[in-house]
Amino acid sequence: MARRIVITSGKGGVGKTTTTANLGAALAQRGHRVVLVDADIGLRNLDLVLGVEKRIVFDIVEVVEGRCQLRQALIKDKRIENLSVLPAAQTRDKTAVSELQFANVVSQLAELCDFVLIDCPAGIEHGFRNAIAGAGEAIVVTTPEVSAIRDADRVIGKLHERGLPIRLIVNRLRPEMVRSGDMLSVDDVTDILSAELLGIVPDDEEVVDSTNRGEPVVLRAESRLAVIYDKIVRRLEGELVPFTTFGAPSLFARIFGKAS
Amino acid sequence: MQETVVHADGEPARGEAREAAAAPQATRGRAIVITSGKGGVGKTTTTANLGAALAAAGAAVVLVDADVGLRNLDIVLGLEARVRHHVLDVLEGAVDVDGALVTDKRVPQLRLLAAAQTREKDDVDTEAFRDLVTSLRERFDYVLIDCPAGIEKGFANAIAAADEAIIVCTPDVSAVRDADRVVGLLGERRSVRLIVNRLRPALVRKGKMLSVDDVNAILHLPLLGVVTDAPDVIVSTNRGEPVALDAASAVGSAYREIAQRIAGTLTSSPEIPRERSFFEKLFGGRP
Repeated sequence: MARRIVITSGKGGVGKTTTTANLGAALAQRGHRVVLVDADIGLRNLDLVLGVEKRIVFDIVEVVEGRCQLRQALIKDKRIENLSVLPAAQTRDKTAVSELQFANVVSQLAELCDFVLIDCPAGIEHGFRNAIAGAGEAIVVTTPEVSAIRDADRVIGKLHERGLPIRLIVNRLRPEMVRSGDMLSVDDVTDILSAELLGIVPDDEEVVDSTNRGEPVVLRAESRLAVIYDKIVRRLEGELVPFTTFGAPSLFARIFGKAS
Repeated sequence: MQETVVHADGEPARGEAREAAAAPQATRGRAIVITSGKGGVGKTTTTANLGAALAAAGAAVVLVDADVGLRNLDIVLGLEARVRHHVLDVLEGAVDVDGALVTDKRVPQLRLLAAAQTREKDDVDTEAFRDLVTSLRERFDYVLIDCPAGIEKGFANAIAAADEAIIVCTPDVSAVRDADRVVGLLGERRSVRLIVNRLRPALVRKGKMLSVDDVNAILHLPLLGVVTDAPDVIVSTNRGEPVALDAASAVGSAYREIAQRIAGTLTSSPEIPRERSFFEKLFGGRP
Protein backbone atom coordinates (compact mmCIF):
# COMPACT_ATOMS: atom_id res chain seq x y z
CA MET A 1 0.00 0.00 0.00
CA ALA A 2 1.13 3.51 -0.79
CA ARG A 3 2.51 6.02 1.66
CA ARG A 4 -0.11 8.66 2.41
CA ILE A 5 1.43 12.03 3.18
CA VAL A 6 -0.45 15.23 4.02
CA ILE A 7 1.27 18.55 3.23
CA THR A 8 0.03 21.11 5.74
CA SER A 9 1.03 24.36 7.49
CA GLY A 10 -1.74 26.12 9.37
CA LYS A 11 -0.93 29.44 7.76
CA GLY A 12 -1.88 29.94 4.15
CA GLY A 13 0.40 31.08 1.38
CA VAL A 14 3.54 29.46 2.73
CA GLY A 15 3.80 27.11 -0.25
CA LYS A 16 1.79 23.96 0.48
CA THR A 17 0.41 23.63 -3.03
CA THR A 18 3.72 24.42 -4.72
CA THR A 19 5.45 21.90 -2.45
CA THR A 20 2.83 19.24 -3.17
CA ALA A 21 3.14 19.71 -6.94
CA ASN A 22 6.93 19.69 -6.94
CA LEU A 23 7.38 16.74 -4.57
CA GLY A 24 4.80 14.83 -6.58
CA ALA A 25 6.51 15.60 -9.87
CA ALA A 26 9.95 14.78 -8.43
CA LEU A 27 8.74 11.47 -6.99
CA ALA A 28 7.13 10.54 -10.32
CA GLN A 29 10.32 11.44 -12.18
CA ARG A 30 12.12 8.96 -9.96
CA GLY A 31 9.71 6.25 -11.09
CA HIS A 32 7.14 6.19 -8.30
CA ARG A 33 3.45 6.11 -9.09
CA VAL A 34 2.03 9.25 -7.49
CA VAL A 35 -1.46 10.63 -6.97
CA LEU A 36 -1.93 14.19 -5.68
CA VAL A 37 -5.18 15.02 -3.91
CA ASP A 38 -6.43 18.60 -3.61
CA ALA A 39 -8.26 18.87 -0.28
CA ASP A 40 -9.02 22.58 -0.67
CA ILE A 41 -12.65 22.22 -1.71
CA GLY A 42 -14.03 25.60 -2.79
CA LEU A 43 -10.60 27.18 -3.23
CA ARG A 44 -8.76 24.64 -5.32
CA ASN A 45 -5.40 25.60 -6.83
CA LEU A 46 -3.34 22.44 -7.28
CA ASP A 47 -4.82 22.05 -10.77
CA LEU A 48 -3.55 25.53 -11.72
CA VAL A 49 -0.07 24.94 -10.35
CA LEU A 50 0.10 21.71 -12.38
CA GLY A 51 -1.45 23.32 -15.44
CA VAL A 52 -4.28 20.77 -15.72
CA GLU A 53 -7.18 23.12 -14.91
CA LYS A 54 -8.74 22.85 -18.36
CA ARG A 55 -8.79 19.06 -18.23
CA ILE A 56 -10.92 18.65 -15.09
CA VAL A 57 -14.06 16.63 -15.74
CA PHE A 58 -14.91 15.21 -12.31
CA ASP A 59 -13.78 16.11 -8.82
CA ILE A 60 -13.49 14.55 -5.36
CA VAL A 61 -17.02 15.55 -4.35
CA GLU A 62 -18.45 13.75 -7.37
CA VAL A 63 -16.39 10.69 -6.47
CA VAL A 64 -17.71 10.73 -2.92
CA GLU A 65 -21.28 11.25 -4.10
CA GLY A 66 -20.94 8.25 -6.41
CA ARG A 67 -21.48 10.27 -9.57
CA CYS A 68 -18.31 8.91 -11.17
CA GLN A 69 -15.66 6.26 -10.66
CA LEU A 70 -12.53 7.26 -8.79
CA ARG A 71 -10.38 6.46 -11.83
CA GLN A 72 -12.51 8.74 -14.03
CA ALA A 73 -11.77 11.72 -11.82
CA LEU A 74 -8.00 11.26 -11.93
CA ILE A 75 -6.18 13.53 -14.37
CA LYS A 76 -2.93 12.15 -15.74
CA ASP A 77 -0.12 14.63 -16.20
CA LYS A 78 0.94 14.63 -19.85
CA ARG A 79 4.54 15.63 -19.11
CA ILE A 80 5.37 13.14 -16.40
CA GLU A 81 4.40 9.53 -16.51
CA ASN A 82 3.05 8.14 -13.23
CA LEU A 83 1.70 11.48 -11.96
CA SER A 84 -2.05 12.00 -11.52
CA VAL A 85 -4.17 14.50 -9.66
CA LEU A 86 -7.58 14.22 -8.03
CA PRO A 87 -9.00 17.76 -8.12
CA ALA A 88 -11.14 19.39 -5.46
CA ALA A 89 -14.56 20.80 -6.32
CA GLN A 90 -14.56 24.57 -6.81
CA THR A 91 -18.21 25.45 -6.31
CA ARG A 92 -18.87 23.42 -3.16
CA ASP A 93 -17.67 23.82 0.38
CA LYS A 94 -15.53 21.66 2.59
CA THR A 95 -18.43 20.12 4.46
CA ALA A 96 -19.49 18.38 1.20
CA VAL A 97 -17.05 15.61 2.17
CA SER A 98 -16.82 14.02 5.62
CA GLU A 99 -13.59 12.92 7.29
CA LEU A 100 -14.55 9.28 6.84
CA GLN A 101 -15.37 9.76 3.15
CA PHE A 102 -12.10 11.56 2.60
CA ALA A 103 -10.11 8.84 4.35
CA ASN A 104 -11.90 6.24 2.20
CA VAL A 105 -10.90 7.98 -1.01
CA VAL A 106 -7.29 8.18 0.16
CA SER A 107 -7.15 4.50 1.03
CA GLN A 108 -8.65 3.55 -2.34
CA LEU A 109 -6.00 5.68 -4.05
CA ALA A 110 -3.33 4.03 -1.93
CA GLU A 111 -4.18 0.73 -3.65
CA LEU A 112 -3.40 2.26 -7.05
CA CYS A 113 -0.03 3.90 -6.46
CA ASP A 114 3.11 4.28 -4.34
CA PHE A 115 2.57 7.78 -2.92
CA VAL A 116 -0.61 9.72 -2.18
CA LEU A 117 0.21 13.37 -1.43
CA ILE A 118 -2.64 15.38 0.09
CA ASP A 119 -2.60 19.16 -0.37
CA CYS A 120 -4.21 20.53 2.80
CA PRO A 121 -6.12 23.83 2.87
CA ALA A 122 -4.99 26.68 5.16
CA GLY A 123 -6.48 26.80 8.62
CA ILE A 124 -7.46 24.12 11.11
CA GLU A 125 -11.14 23.76 10.32
CA HIS A 126 -13.13 21.04 8.56
CA GLY A 127 -10.90 21.06 5.46
CA PHE A 128 -7.83 20.43 7.63
CA ARG A 129 -9.52 17.58 9.48
CA ASN A 130 -10.48 16.00 6.15
CA ALA A 131 -6.98 16.31 4.75
CA ILE A 132 -5.31 14.63 7.72
CA ALA A 133 -8.01 11.96 8.11
CA GLY A 134 -6.50 9.49 5.65
CA ALA A 135 -2.83 10.39 6.09
CA GLY A 136 -0.14 8.18 7.58
CA GLU A 137 2.51 10.88 7.83
CA ALA A 138 2.76 14.66 7.58
CA ILE A 139 5.01 17.27 6.04
CA VAL A 140 4.66 20.67 7.67
CA VAL A 141 5.67 23.57 5.42
CA THR A 142 6.64 26.80 7.11
CA THR A 143 8.38 30.03 6.18
CA PRO A 144 10.94 31.62 8.53
CA GLU A 145 8.43 34.15 9.84
CA VAL A 146 7.07 34.43 13.35
CA SER A 147 3.44 34.15 12.28
CA ALA A 148 3.98 31.10 10.06
CA ILE A 149 5.94 29.37 12.84
CA ARG A 150 3.26 30.05 15.41
CA ASP A 151 0.63 28.54 13.11
CA ALA A 152 2.89 25.57 12.31
CA ASP A 153 3.35 24.98 16.02
CA ARG A 154 -0.41 24.83 16.51
CA VAL A 155 -0.77 22.39 13.60
CA ILE A 156 2.07 20.19 14.84
CA GLY A 157 0.21 19.89 18.14
CA LYS A 158 -2.88 18.68 16.31
CA LEU A 159 -0.86 16.22 14.21
CA HIS A 160 0.77 14.83 17.37
CA GLU A 161 -2.69 14.16 18.79
CA ARG A 162 -3.28 11.95 15.75
CA GLY A 163 0.08 10.25 16.21
CA LEU A 164 1.28 11.21 12.74
CA PRO A 165 5.05 11.33 12.13
CA ILE A 166 5.99 14.89 11.19
CA ARG A 167 8.78 16.32 9.08
CA LEU A 168 9.47 19.93 8.30
CA ILE A 169 10.19 21.89 5.13
CA VAL A 170 11.44 25.44 5.68
CA ASN A 171 10.31 27.32 2.60
CA ARG A 172 11.25 30.69 1.07
CA LEU A 173 14.43 31.14 3.03
CA ARG A 174 16.34 34.29 2.12
CA PRO A 175 19.92 33.54 3.19
CA GLU A 176 21.04 37.17 2.86
CA MET A 177 18.29 38.24 5.28
CA VAL A 178 19.28 35.49 7.72
CA ARG A 179 22.86 36.75 7.60
CA SER A 180 21.80 40.34 8.21
CA GLY A 181 19.73 39.20 11.18
CA ASP A 182 16.45 40.16 9.54
CA MET A 183 15.13 36.62 9.14
CA LEU A 184 15.02 33.61 11.42
CA SER A 185 17.49 30.88 10.51
CA VAL A 186 16.58 27.25 9.83
CA ASP A 187 18.06 26.35 13.23
CA ASP A 188 15.81 28.91 14.91
CA VAL A 189 12.80 27.36 13.18
CA THR A 190 13.64 23.74 13.97
CA ASP A 191 14.48 24.68 17.59
CA ILE A 192 11.07 26.29 18.09
CA LEU A 193 9.13 23.55 16.35
CA SER A 194 11.37 20.64 17.43
CA ALA A 195 10.48 18.61 14.38
CA GLU A 196 12.75 16.64 12.08
CA LEU A 197 13.96 18.66 9.10
CA LEU A 198 13.13 17.30 5.64
CA GLY A 199 14.24 20.17 3.46
CA ILE A 200 15.18 23.81 3.03
CA VAL A 201 13.91 25.66 -0.04
CA PRO A 202 15.24 29.15 -0.78
CA ASP A 203 13.00 31.97 -1.95
CA ASP A 204 13.14 32.10 -5.72
CA GLU A 205 11.18 34.35 -8.04
CA GLU A 206 11.07 31.51 -10.54
CA VAL A 207 8.24 30.00 -8.48
CA VAL A 208 5.86 32.89 -9.26
CA ASP A 209 6.33 32.40 -12.97
CA SER A 210 6.11 28.63 -12.75
CA THR A 211 2.79 28.86 -10.85
CA ASN A 212 1.35 31.24 -13.41
CA ARG A 213 2.40 28.91 -16.22
CA GLY A 214 1.24 25.73 -14.52
CA GLU A 215 4.66 24.20 -14.84
CA PRO A 216 6.28 22.90 -11.63
CA VAL A 217 9.91 24.07 -11.33
CA VAL A 218 11.18 20.50 -11.05
CA LEU A 219 10.35 20.14 -14.75
CA ARG A 220 12.89 22.84 -15.56
CA ALA A 221 16.19 21.00 -15.84
CA GLU A 222 18.24 24.14 -15.26
CA SER A 223 16.34 25.15 -12.13
CA ARG A 224 18.27 25.22 -8.87
CA LEU A 225 15.03 24.39 -7.09
CA ALA A 226 14.73 21.17 -9.12
CA VAL A 227 17.93 19.95 -7.47
CA ILE A 228 16.60 20.88 -4.04
CA TYR A 229 13.25 19.12 -4.50
CA ASP A 230 15.07 16.06 -5.82
CA LYS A 231 17.10 15.94 -2.60
CA ILE A 232 13.95 16.23 -0.49
CA VAL A 233 12.38 13.37 -2.38
CA ARG A 234 15.45 11.20 -1.85
CA ARG A 235 15.20 11.93 1.88
CA LEU A 236 11.56 10.83 1.70
CA GLU A 237 12.78 7.57 0.16
CA GLY A 238 15.04 7.12 3.18
CA GLU A 239 18.36 8.18 1.72
CA LEU A 240 20.66 10.29 3.93
CA VAL A 241 21.22 13.39 1.85
CA PRO A 242 23.23 16.23 3.40
CA PHE A 243 21.51 19.61 3.67
CA THR A 244 22.69 22.53 1.60
CA THR A 245 23.80 25.10 4.16
CA PHE A 246 22.28 28.30 2.83
CA GLY A 247 23.15 30.06 6.05
CA ALA A 248 26.86 29.30 5.62
CA PRO A 249 29.40 32.05 6.24
CA SER A 250 29.95 34.35 3.30
CA LEU A 251 32.84 33.81 0.93
CA PHE A 252 34.60 36.75 2.55
CA ALA A 253 34.28 35.22 5.99
CA ARG A 254 35.53 31.85 4.75
CA ILE A 255 38.57 33.33 3.03
CA PHE A 256 39.57 35.44 5.98
CA GLY A 257 38.54 32.89 8.56
CA LYS A 258 36.18 35.19 10.42
CA ALA A 259 33.71 33.50 12.68
CA SER A 260 30.21 34.49 11.65
CA MET B 1 -15.79 60.40 -2.41
CA GLN B 2 -14.73 57.16 -4.05
CA GLU B 3 -13.18 57.38 -7.44
CA THR B 4 -15.01 55.72 -10.25
CA VAL B 5 -13.01 52.96 -11.81
CA VAL B 6 -13.96 52.11 -15.33
CA HIS B 7 -12.17 49.40 -17.20
CA ALA B 8 -10.58 49.71 -20.59
CA ASP B 9 -13.49 47.88 -22.14
CA GLY B 10 -15.86 50.51 -20.79
CA GLU B 11 -17.49 48.17 -18.30
CA PRO B 12 -17.95 49.61 -14.84
CA ALA B 13 -16.04 47.87 -12.08
CA ARG B 14 -18.20 45.26 -10.46
CA GLY B 15 -18.00 46.66 -6.94
CA GLU B 16 -19.70 49.84 -8.03
CA ALA B 17 -23.33 48.94 -7.64
CA ARG B 18 -22.59 47.60 -4.21
CA GLU B 19 -20.86 50.76 -3.11
CA ALA B 20 -23.92 52.77 -3.90
CA ALA B 21 -26.10 50.28 -2.06
CA ALA B 22 -23.92 50.16 1.03
CA ALA B 23 -23.26 53.81 1.80
CA PRO B 24 -22.18 53.83 5.43
CA GLN B 25 -24.55 55.45 7.90
CA ALA B 26 -23.12 58.80 8.88
CA THR B 27 -23.53 58.46 12.62
CA ARG B 28 -21.69 55.21 13.04
CA GLY B 29 -18.22 53.87 12.53
CA ARG B 30 -17.41 51.67 9.57
CA ALA B 31 -16.90 47.92 9.79
CA ILE B 32 -14.47 46.74 7.12
CA VAL B 33 -13.40 43.13 6.64
CA ILE B 34 -10.00 42.44 5.10
CA THR B 35 -10.24 39.15 3.25
CA SER B 36 -8.72 37.18 0.36
CA GLY B 37 -9.66 33.50 0.20
CA LYS B 38 -6.06 32.46 -0.19
CA GLY B 39 -3.82 32.61 2.83
CA GLY B 40 -0.48 34.34 3.06
CA VAL B 41 -1.31 37.15 0.65
CA GLY B 42 -1.01 39.79 3.37
CA LYS B 43 -4.39 40.19 5.06
CA THR B 44 -2.95 40.54 8.56
CA THR B 45 -0.14 42.85 7.47
CA THR B 46 -2.69 44.97 5.57
CA THR B 47 -5.04 45.10 8.56
CA ALA B 48 -2.25 46.16 10.91
CA ASN B 49 -0.89 48.81 8.57
CA LEU B 50 -4.21 50.32 7.55
CA GLY B 51 -5.26 50.39 11.20
CA ALA B 52 -2.00 52.07 12.22
CA ALA B 53 -2.22 54.59 9.39
CA LEU B 54 -5.87 55.48 10.08
CA ALA B 55 -5.19 55.84 13.80
CA ALA B 56 -2.04 57.88 13.24
CA ALA B 57 -4.18 60.23 11.16
CA GLY B 58 -6.47 60.73 14.14
CA ALA B 59 -9.27 58.17 13.75
CA ALA B 60 -10.35 55.88 16.57
CA VAL B 61 -9.63 52.38 15.30
CA VAL B 62 -10.16 48.89 16.66
CA LEU B 63 -8.66 45.86 14.93
CA VAL B 64 -10.45 42.55 15.45
CA ASP B 65 -8.60 39.29 14.82
CA ALA B 66 -11.14 36.78 13.50
CA ASP B 67 -8.59 33.99 13.09
CA VAL B 68 -9.52 32.02 16.20
CA GLY B 69 -6.98 29.24 16.72
CA LEU B 70 -4.34 30.74 14.42
CA ARG B 71 -4.13 34.32 15.54
CA ASN B 72 -1.30 36.50 14.28
CA LEU B 73 -2.48 40.10 14.29
CA ASP B 74 -1.10 40.53 17.83
CA ILE B 75 2.37 39.46 16.62
CA VAL B 76 2.36 41.75 13.60
CA LEU B 77 1.46 44.66 15.89
CA GLY B 78 4.02 43.61 18.49
CA LEU B 79 1.31 43.36 21.14
CA GLU B 80 1.42 39.61 21.82
CA ALA B 81 2.92 39.98 25.29
CA ARG B 82 0.11 42.31 26.34
CA VAL B 83 -2.90 40.21 25.30
CA ARG B 84 -4.77 39.13 28.43
CA HIS B 85 -8.23 38.38 27.08
CA HIS B 86 -9.67 37.61 23.68
CA VAL B 87 -12.84 37.73 21.61
CA LEU B 88 -14.25 34.52 23.07
CA ASP B 89 -13.75 35.79 26.63
CA VAL B 90 -15.90 38.77 25.67
CA LEU B 91 -18.53 36.71 23.82
CA GLU B 92 -18.78 34.29 26.72
CA GLY B 93 -19.08 37.10 29.27
CA ALA B 94 -15.86 36.35 31.15
CA VAL B 95 -14.75 39.95 30.69
CA ASP B 96 -16.30 43.09 29.23
CA VAL B 97 -14.99 44.39 25.94
CA ASP B 98 -12.87 47.12 27.53
CA GLY B 99 -11.13 44.49 29.58
CA ALA B 100 -10.07 42.73 26.40
CA LEU B 101 -8.96 45.67 24.25
CA VAL B 102 -5.19 46.22 24.07
CA THR B 103 -4.10 49.80 23.45
CA ASP B 104 -1.15 50.33 21.15
CA LYS B 105 1.39 52.47 23.00
CA ARG B 106 2.80 53.97 19.81
CA VAL B 107 -0.61 55.04 18.52
CA PRO B 108 -3.06 55.26 21.44
CA GLN B 109 -5.97 55.68 19.03
CA LEU B 110 -5.35 52.10 17.92
CA ARG B 111 -6.74 49.13 19.80
CA LEU B 112 -6.62 45.39 19.29
CA LEU B 113 -9.19 42.76 20.14
CA ALA B 114 -7.23 39.52 19.91
CA ALA B 115 -8.51 36.12 18.84
CA ALA B 116 -8.35 33.09 21.12
CA GLN B 117 -5.39 30.89 20.27
CA THR B 118 -6.40 27.63 21.92
CA ARG B 119 -10.00 27.54 20.73
CA GLU B 120 -11.76 26.75 17.45
CA LYS B 121 -13.66 28.92 14.99
CA ASP B 122 -16.70 26.72 15.56
CA ASP B 123 -16.78 28.05 19.14
CA VAL B 124 -17.69 31.51 17.86
CA ASP B 125 -21.39 32.19 17.48
CA THR B 126 -21.76 34.20 14.27
CA GLU B 127 -24.70 36.25 15.58
CA ALA B 128 -22.91 37.14 18.81
CA PHE B 129 -19.78 38.10 16.88
CA ARG B 130 -21.87 40.32 14.63
CA ASP B 131 -23.43 42.01 17.67
CA LEU B 132 -19.99 42.60 19.17
CA VAL B 133 -18.74 44.30 16.00
CA THR B 134 -21.92 46.36 15.84
CA SER B 135 -21.37 47.57 19.40
CA LEU B 136 -17.75 48.45 18.57
CA ARG B 137 -19.01 50.53 15.65
CA GLU B 138 -20.82 52.76 18.11
CA ARG B 139 -17.51 53.67 19.76
CA PHE B 140 -14.90 53.60 17.01
CA ASP B 141 -14.58 55.29 13.64
CA TYR B 142 -13.24 52.09 12.12
CA VAL B 143 -13.60 48.44 13.01
CA LEU B 144 -11.17 46.50 10.81
CA ILE B 145 -11.72 42.75 10.84
CA ASP B 146 -8.79 40.49 9.94
CA CYS B 147 -10.39 37.49 8.22
CA PRO B 148 -8.81 34.01 8.31
CA ALA B 149 -7.82 32.24 5.10
CA GLY B 150 -10.38 29.98 3.51
CA ILE B 151 -14.14 30.18 3.20
CA GLU B 152 -15.23 28.13 6.18
CA LYS B 153 -16.81 29.16 9.50
CA GLY B 154 -14.09 31.69 10.32
CA PHE B 155 -14.80 33.49 7.05
CA ALA B 156 -18.54 33.49 7.69
CA ASN B 157 -17.94 35.01 11.15
CA ALA B 158 -15.57 37.66 9.86
CA ILE B 159 -17.81 38.95 7.09
CA ALA B 160 -21.07 38.80 9.04
CA ALA B 161 -20.91 42.29 10.52
CA ALA B 162 -18.98 44.08 7.79
CA ASP B 163 -20.67 46.18 5.15
CA GLU B 164 -17.42 46.98 3.42
CA ALA B 165 -14.77 44.54 2.28
CA ILE B 166 -11.20 44.94 1.12
CA ILE B 167 -9.89 42.10 -0.99
CA VAL B 168 -6.14 41.59 -0.74
CA CYS B 169 -4.75 39.78 -3.75
CA THR B 170 -1.22 39.00 -4.94
CA PRO B 171 -0.47 38.96 -8.67
CA ASP B 172 -0.59 35.21 -9.19
CA VAL B 173 -3.23 32.99 -10.72
CA SER B 174 -4.09 31.06 -7.59
CA ALA B 175 -4.63 34.17 -5.46
CA VAL B 176 -6.76 35.72 -8.21
CA ARG B 177 -8.91 32.63 -8.52
CA ASP B 178 -9.46 32.45 -4.74
CA ALA B 179 -10.21 36.18 -4.59
CA ASP B 180 -12.76 35.78 -7.36
CA ARG B 181 -14.53 33.07 -5.39
CA VAL B 182 -14.59 35.25 -2.28
CA VAL B 183 -15.98 38.25 -4.18
CA GLY B 184 -18.83 35.99 -5.25
CA LEU B 185 -19.45 34.88 -1.67
CA LEU B 186 -19.44 38.46 -0.34
CA GLY B 187 -22.66 39.05 -2.22
CA GLU B 188 -24.12 42.22 -3.64
CA ARG B 189 -24.87 44.26 -0.55
CA ARG B 190 -21.30 45.05 0.45
CA SER B 191 -18.87 47.56 -0.95
CA VAL B 192 -15.86 45.59 -2.19
CA ARG B 193 -12.52 47.15 -3.11
CA LEU B 194 -9.15 45.73 -4.09
CA ILE B 195 -5.57 46.00 -2.88
CA VAL B 196 -2.98 44.33 -5.09
CA ASN B 197 -0.20 43.27 -2.77
CA ARG B 198 3.43 42.20 -3.27
CA LEU B 199 3.74 43.47 -6.81
CA ARG B 200 7.24 43.13 -8.22
CA PRO B 201 7.35 45.66 -11.07
CA ALA B 202 10.59 44.19 -12.42
CA LEU B 203 8.96 40.76 -12.81
CA VAL B 204 5.87 42.29 -14.42
CA ARG B 205 8.05 44.03 -16.96
CA LYS B 206 9.80 40.76 -17.78
CA GLY B 207 6.41 39.13 -18.28
CA LYS B 208 6.98 36.84 -15.31
CA MET B 209 4.26 38.23 -13.06
CA LEU B 210 0.66 39.28 -13.66
CA SER B 211 0.19 43.04 -13.86
CA VAL B 212 -2.39 44.99 -11.86
CA ASP B 213 -4.48 45.19 -15.03
CA ASP B 214 -4.25 41.42 -15.51
CA VAL B 215 -5.51 40.91 -11.97
CA ASN B 216 -8.34 43.36 -12.31
CA ALA B 217 -9.36 42.10 -15.76
CA ILE B 218 -10.63 39.10 -13.80
CA LEU B 219 -11.77 40.68 -10.55
CA HIS B 220 -13.32 43.94 -11.88
CA LEU B 221 -13.08 45.76 -8.56
CA PRO B 222 -12.44 49.41 -7.71
CA LEU B 223 -8.72 49.64 -6.98
CA LEU B 224 -7.84 50.99 -3.56
CA GLY B 225 -4.09 50.69 -3.92
CA VAL B 226 -1.03 48.73 -4.95
CA VAL B 227 1.70 47.65 -2.53
CA THR B 228 5.05 46.43 -3.81
CA ASP B 229 6.94 43.44 -2.48
CA ALA B 230 9.60 44.68 -0.09
CA PRO B 231 11.84 42.92 2.42
CA ASP B 232 11.11 45.60 5.02
CA VAL B 233 7.62 44.12 5.41
CA ILE B 234 9.08 40.79 6.55
CA VAL B 235 11.38 42.62 8.94
CA SER B 236 8.56 44.75 10.30
CA THR B 237 6.35 41.67 10.81
CA ASN B 238 9.08 39.86 12.71
CA ARG B 239 9.67 42.94 14.85
CA GLY B 240 6.00 43.76 15.37
CA GLU B 241 6.34 47.30 14.01
CA PRO B 242 3.90 48.20 11.21
CA VAL B 243 5.75 49.87 8.30
CA ALA B 244 2.93 52.39 7.99
CA LEU B 245 4.40 54.08 11.07
CA ASP B 246 7.78 54.40 9.38
CA ALA B 247 7.80 57.77 7.61
CA ALA B 248 10.81 56.76 5.50
CA SER B 249 9.33 53.52 4.13
CA ALA B 250 7.95 53.47 0.57
CA VAL B 251 5.63 50.59 1.44
CA GLY B 252 4.55 52.50 4.53
CA SER B 253 3.68 55.43 2.31
CA ALA B 254 1.58 53.16 0.07
CA TYR B 255 -0.40 52.04 3.13
CA ARG B 256 -0.86 55.62 4.30
CA GLU B 257 -2.28 56.56 0.90
CA ILE B 258 -4.67 53.63 0.96
CA ALA B 259 -5.80 54.72 4.42
CA GLN B 260 -6.47 58.19 3.03
CA ARG B 261 -8.52 56.71 0.19
CA ILE B 262 -10.55 54.73 2.71
CA ALA B 263 -11.09 57.89 4.76
CA GLY B 264 -12.01 59.79 1.60
CA THR B 265 -9.29 62.41 2.08
CA LEU B 266 -7.45 61.27 -1.04
CA THR B 267 -9.47 60.98 -4.23
CA SER B 268 -6.81 60.51 -6.90
CA SER B 269 -6.59 57.10 -8.54
CA PRO B 270 -3.88 54.85 -7.15
CA GLU B 271 -0.60 54.94 -8.98
CA ILE B 272 0.54 51.62 -10.36
CA PRO B 273 4.23 51.17 -9.55
CA ARG B 274 6.32 50.09 -12.50
CA GLU B 275 9.96 49.57 -13.03
CA ARG B 276 11.80 52.16 -15.03
CA SER B 277 12.87 50.84 -18.38
CA PHE B 278 16.48 50.70 -19.40
CA PHE B 279 16.13 53.88 -21.45
CA GLU B 280 14.38 55.72 -18.66
CA LYS B 281 17.17 54.76 -16.29
CA LEU B 282 19.77 55.80 -18.84
CA PHE B 283 18.21 59.11 -19.74
CA GLY B 284 16.72 59.89 -16.36
CA GLY B 285 13.09 59.73 -17.44
CA ARG B 286 10.54 59.71 -14.68
CA PRO B 287 9.23 56.30 -13.68
